Amino acid sequence: MTTLDATSPNPSNAPAPPVDNYLTFTRGFLSWALTLDHKRIGLMYLVAVLGSFLVGGIFALLVRTELLTPGATIPGVDAEVYNQFFTLHGAIMVFLVIIPSIPAALGNFVLPIMLGAKDVAFPRLNLGSFYLWIIGAVLAVLSLAYGGFDTGWTFYTPYSTTTSTGGVIPVVTGVFILGFSSIFTGLNFVVTIHKLRPPGMTWFRMPLLLWALYATALIQVLATPVLGITLLMLIVERVFQIGLFDPAMGGDPVLFQHFFWFYSHPAVYIMILPAMGIISEIISVHAHRHIFGYRFIAFSSVAIAIFSFLVWGHHMFTSGQSPLMNVVFSLITFSVAIPSAIKVFNWMATLYRGSISINTPMLYGLGFIFLFTIGGLTGLHLGTLNTDIHLHDTYFVVAHFHYVMMGSALIAMIGGLHHWWPKMVGRMYNEKWGIIGFALVFIGFNVTFFTQFMLGSHGMPRRYYNYQPEFQIYHVISTIGSYIMAAGFFWTLYYLVQSLFSGAKAPSNPWGGRSLEWQCTSPPPHDNFKTTPSVGDCYDFSVVKWDEEEGGYVVDRSQVDKQRPDH
Amino acid sequence: MANIVSPFEDPERRLSAGRFGMLIFIASLAMIFAAAILGFLVVRLEDDGSWPPPGMPALPGSLLLSTLILVASSITFLRATNDLRRDDGPGLIRWLTATLVLALGFLAVQTFAWWDLVGRGMDFSRHLYAWTFYFLTGLHAVHVLGGVIPLWIVTQRVRRGDRSASVRRGVVYTAMYWHFVDVAWLVLYLTLVAGTLGG
Repeated sequence: MTTLDATSPNPSNAPAPPVDNYLTFTRGFLSWALTLDHKRIGLMYLVAVLGSFLVGGIFALLVRTELLTPGATIPGVDAEVYNQFFTLHGAIMVFLVIIPSIPAALGNFVLPIMLGAKDVAFPRLNLGSFYLWIIGAVLAVLSLAYGGFDTGWTFYTPYSTTTSTGGVIPVVTGVFILGFSSIFTGLNFVVTIHKLRPPGMTWFRMPLLLWALYATALIQVLATPVLGITLLMLIVERVFQIGLFDPAMGGDPVLFQHFFWFYSHPAVYIMILPAMGIISEIISVHAHRHIFGYRFIAFSSVAIAIFSFLVWGHHMFTSGQSPLMNVVFSLITFSVAIPSAIKVFNWMATLYRGSISINTPMLYGLGFIFLFTIGGLTGLHLGTLNTDIHLHDTYFVVAHFHYVMMGSALIAMIGGLHHWWPKMVGRMYNEKWGIIGFALVFIGFNVTFFTQFMLGSHGMPRRYYNYQPEFQIYHVISTIGSYIMAAGFFWTLYYLVQSLFSGAKAPSNPWGGRSLEWQCTSPPPHDNFKTTPSVGDCYDFSVVKWDEEEGGYVVDRSQVDKQRPDH
Repeated sequence: MANIVSPFEDPERRLSAGRFGMLIFIASLAMIFAAAILGFLVVRLEDDGSWPPPGMPALPGSLLLSTLILVASSITFLRATNDLRRDDGPGLIRWLTATLVLALGFLAVQTFAWWDLVGRGMDFSRHLYAWTFYFLTGLHAVHVLGGVIPLWIVTQRVRRGDRSASVRRGVVYTAMYWHFVDVAWLVLYLTLVAGTLGG
């Protein structure tokens, strides 16, 4: 694979790059701060999201370290401080990392290029979304200055309306603003996909990532406003204590949970759908094999988006919902397994007899399938009413959603980051180092969270500061796993940053991809394409050939023209 | 900065993308109102007492007036966009100005209704009847205000003789938004009225 030595013989290391790219197109701070270029905005999101990931990750490590022993472990961290740790960890990871990581960061970068467009439909709105995001993130973190908050990331009442910590209003306002950022990004993507497809790019020729981002955008646009109104009511309730969520004053605390989960369950699919889109790309490109069941995967994305609006009640099986409602929500929850499983089977079928390149993106892709399968199947235990009564609010739930949110959504994001890294920065990372990084993250992840399935099924409740000594061995193993994972992430950060300075220059098409982003140079020019790109079947890899002179793959035009009449 | 402001070269395609974007935005706002109204219904149905509760004033009659004004403003806006399509400058100015006046009139009547209710002792923290009323009408008023500002701007630009593509787009988008605010009010008002029926 590639080497770190910049002087090594590499055909693409020819004299200075002749063309300007989006990174060098204009210079200076303002040219970035006021940019309307979707690629730069995507990159700025990426830096902001990774920064948030670092902060959220530090809180995770603090939580895990505190749980090494029953009772106090870290000096000065009492139960109240611990509550703030896990709350901040959750809120930061959900609202500042996983929700924006793929759509806002990677999506902004690749969506228009994959589509063959010059930019998203509303570039100014796009920049506006970014600054809304920054304001929301600053407010959320500012809550620490007001005494933090310890409600859990779900802001359940009455914790959020009556507890003493003063940071609830800043963080809720911050999340409210982040919601608008998310809505505008979704709106932009929907319009872009509808209105900016070039001639030849029909709906069923779009790369599957675009289908996934489209389905995600629909959820962002239709579910996030409900979170907005819920948080608004929460703020008013906290300030004026009117009793909307207080049964003593004629209100209903479960009303808040209904509203919250009406957004937050679809939000789970805001996290996982784009991840599935990335996996469809990674699996087919690195297996060099046409994606199996294109339409099934595309429609599964849409089906999941629709189902996502109908299952929120499965978070509330123990909240005193009517048994009939519980049964209905349980049944619909099981139905979500169908489109999800369709995707997994299609990825497996794509891999079958493929020419699989074992490189970092592919390893993350395979890791995703493994972890998502565990995360998805354990979801069924929680969707089953009687087992949920036992498992509800235990570490089993924690393990389940970490397998889905982190083991799936975040792992896919990091896989996608490696996949498009050469395109984004024009440099190759060190493949061997990437594989080491994957191994650390994958092993660390499973050590951390598989242990928690056992903890949970043995009855350890989530969010507890203290626990019975019999649980300690699991907590110790889990904490060791989290350190391994942290080492993996720091290592990944190190070699990615290092590649910026001494990585080999990336060819236009290092992996043999067929979608349009691999047709423009790495990094892409400011306006993406000099001429309108030609659109083919973006999963037909038979026309993609390795070119020694280029140091990467090229699309064999003569082969493409021969196939033209078929379409 | 040599940034491209819009990836659309053809102004017609740009307008159609903008209209589509506005439609999505409206769908998103509709979810806000739908959730708020649903929340109101839950609160209302869980309340066993009378609605309005004893000692609280009924819905003020001035809301009927504001409803009429808002519907009228939607009609004048329709006339304005008609004249925009026919390139009838004076007509456009006339109808846009009428819409703006009606819009401000609506806000004035809503403010009066609030002022009147507060004067009659409808304290928002006393009962969820009062709270939901202020919350829903306030939520709607904020959205009307969010429409009045762009309406004001495009009206001023049109009155100054500006007939550029951007002001045309502005009129079209504002009109879409305005009709939404109108429909949202009708649904909201009917829900509030329905809430006072029975029990």
